[in-house]
Amino acid sequence: MQRRNFLRLSATSAMAVAVAPSLITQKLYAEDGSLFQTFEKVQLKDAQGNPMKAAALAQEENYIFFYPYAGTPALAVNLATPTDKEVKLKAEDGTEYIYKGGVGAKGTIVAYSAICPHQLTYPQASMSMFQYVGEKGKTLAYDKGGVFVCTSHLSAFEPKQGGKVVGGPASQGLASIVLEIDPDDTLWAVGVLGPVKFQDFFDAFKKELKEVYGRNGAKELVKTETKVQPLKNFTAEIIQS
Amino acid sequence: MAMNRRDTFKLAGIAAVTAAMPGVAMASEKAEAVKKTNGKSVVVIGGGFGGLTIAKALKKLDKSLEVTVIEKNNMFVACPFSNTLLGGLDNVALDNFVGDYYQPSATHGYSFVNATVTAIDKAAKTVTTTEGSMSYDILVLSPGIAYDYAGQFPKWSKEKIAEVSQACPAGLMPGNEHIALKRQLEGMDDGNIIIVPPAKGKFRCPPAPYERTSMVANYMKNEGIKGKVIVLDNKDGAFAKAAAFKESWADLFPDIIEYKGTTEVTDIDPKAKTITYIEYANIDDTKGVVKTEKYEVCNFMPNNKCSPVIEMAGIKTNDAGYAIMDGVSFRSATDKNIYVIGDAVTHGIPPSGQAAIWCAHRAARQIVDQMNGKANDPAAGLPANAANVCYSMVGGKPEEAIMVTHEFIVGPNNTMGSVASVPKPKDGNGKFRSAGTAKATREWFKGVMREMFA
Repeated sequence: MQRRNFLRLSATSAMAVAVAPSLITQKLYAEDGSLFQTFEKVQLKDAQGNPMKAAALAQEENYIFFYPYAGTPALAVNLATPTDKEVKLKAEDGTEYIYKGGVGAKGTIVAYSAICPHQLTYPQASMSMFQYVGEKGKTLAYDKGGVFVCTSHLSAFEPKQGGKVVGGPASQGLASIVLEIDPDDTLWAVGVLGPVKFQDFFDAFKKELKEVYGRNGAKELVKTETKVQPLKNFTAEIIQS
Repeated sequence: MAMNRRDTFKLAGIAAVTAAMPGVAMASEKAEAVKKTNGKSVVVIGGGFGGLTIAKALKKLDKSLEVTVIEKNNMFVACPFSNTLLGGLDNVALDNFVGDYYQPSATHGYSFVNATVTAIDKAAKTVTTTEGSMSYDILVLSPGIAYDYAGQFPKWSKEKIAEVSQACPAGLMPGNEHIALKRQLEGMDDGNIIIVPPAKGKFRCPPAPYERTSMVANYMKNEGIKGKVIVLDNKDGAFAKAAAFKESWADLFPDIIEYKGTTEVTDIDPKAKTITYIEYANIDDTKGVVKTEKYEVCNFMPNNKCSPVIEMAGIKTNDAGYAIMDGVSFRSATDKNIYVIGDAVTHGIPPSGQAAIWCAHRAARQIVDQMNGKANDPAAGLPANAANVCYSMVGGKPEEAIMVTHEFIVGPNNTMGSVASVPKPKDGNGKFRSAGTAKATREWFKGVMREMFA
């Protein structure tokens, strides 16, 4: 997200709080804080409204939830292999940021904003062309599985390295959703790290989002809790080449 | 209402904005009125896939750049996916293909000038247009292609070329030609449709004639038009995605599509609506048989050459006018301040919309690095897997498509090359085409439009 976009969003949604990056678990995420934003601390809850537990996430299953806005999709995955830690990444405009790594007992749980930074393809209820493909899976976008893939334009992103681009036309990586796990194993989304595309997304899909969420509903910040469910339950068809 | 002090300021603000952008000295002004650059001026010639992408990318990489796009058309029309309009697919309308130039220029902070380039002085670093002249520090040429009727038919007069090009629209340059073709299809009764792919050399969107063949056949089938789509080709079946196209033609339109692979068109008579060609028995046959076919609609695609804008710039080109590049970069081999992207390059990569976008992002990085005195490795990231992905819709009911992907590599003689692969989709039941690929085709097109306009 460009700094300008950030400001535009902040102006319309006063709840987005820009805090010093060091406040979150005392770790530095981005050099100047411009690529790290905290949002509402939101609990992930399952279809029945019960708190989702980290241990309940099936391995390599795509789980969709909406964060930080009501209309912006994110995907959580419990990877088969732990992520790297302290991964240094660079946005298109040269800004550097640091991906701290996955969470959970084995450091395998990750979440990324499911808006492709290339041309904004995202999972929809009618079909999804943006999702994680298991390590044994094969796609046209990359010579290995275990990556997020946009089926339409064939960009691939490595979830073990902070969503770095590893294939296809995308010129910067995925934004990651910063997750926290409480001592009772409940899952919380607290912020977003990396170059986000929220304003571009709202601009590009104004008409489509209005149909689903009403006039400005997609831009409303998610508060307190957000529903998390397997992508295959949310979308009519997962398309993967 | 009396004008108060605040209103005066507001008006002054508008005037200043208008004067500052675009930085074009009107033609009536003297030559010395050409506005001096601020040392960060990039002028982009061509507002197609390459031009619009690089203008946006440059502003994203370095806000301090002053970027101006010069485009001769006053409205954007997309070529990719447009065969689906001819095919009469559901929920496809002209609206899907058009855009206004004011919106992306305002959103991304570059200037737009609606003018035709008439001269380029690379020593003085100025571009002259029908609306005035302007200076540049870096010039980006993204002018696309031109048709070479004259080279292909040396005996045709200018009048004959004009007549054929209007009566048998090529439909490789977007806008008027596509609308004319659609009108002709909708207006026709029973009878044959002739499609003639370019006969020689590099041409824009290599699968286009064959996707069009599928889509036109789909239209005939759905409308119940009695007749055939006859393809008069000279590639003997060796064209882009050939195996995948042929499989779908045989499965979906066996009684409609007739492909002739060893022909040479010698004349078209738009008044009589006839096309004359030599049909050879095979590629070794030199004699052939002369045939004349009556048509209702003829989509004649002449050989392509590069847009004359490249020649105006006085940079090194090949025989067809395409720009010779500096290694695998997007800079001219002979002028360090001129970059070339899109169909106008000599790199061995497909002349496609997606490739133009890909080139534009790379060239933008190279330009910004050059202007800021930073090193740039033009081979960085190569080989690039799936740098190009290109879909062709082959059926309408149900919608099905095929695809090709290209890996871009450092090719022979340190130019950029590519390696193609035509995959079979997971949902294709062993066929090259599938419904999932058709959905990806639609999303692909929406994505490339978002790239330029969102």
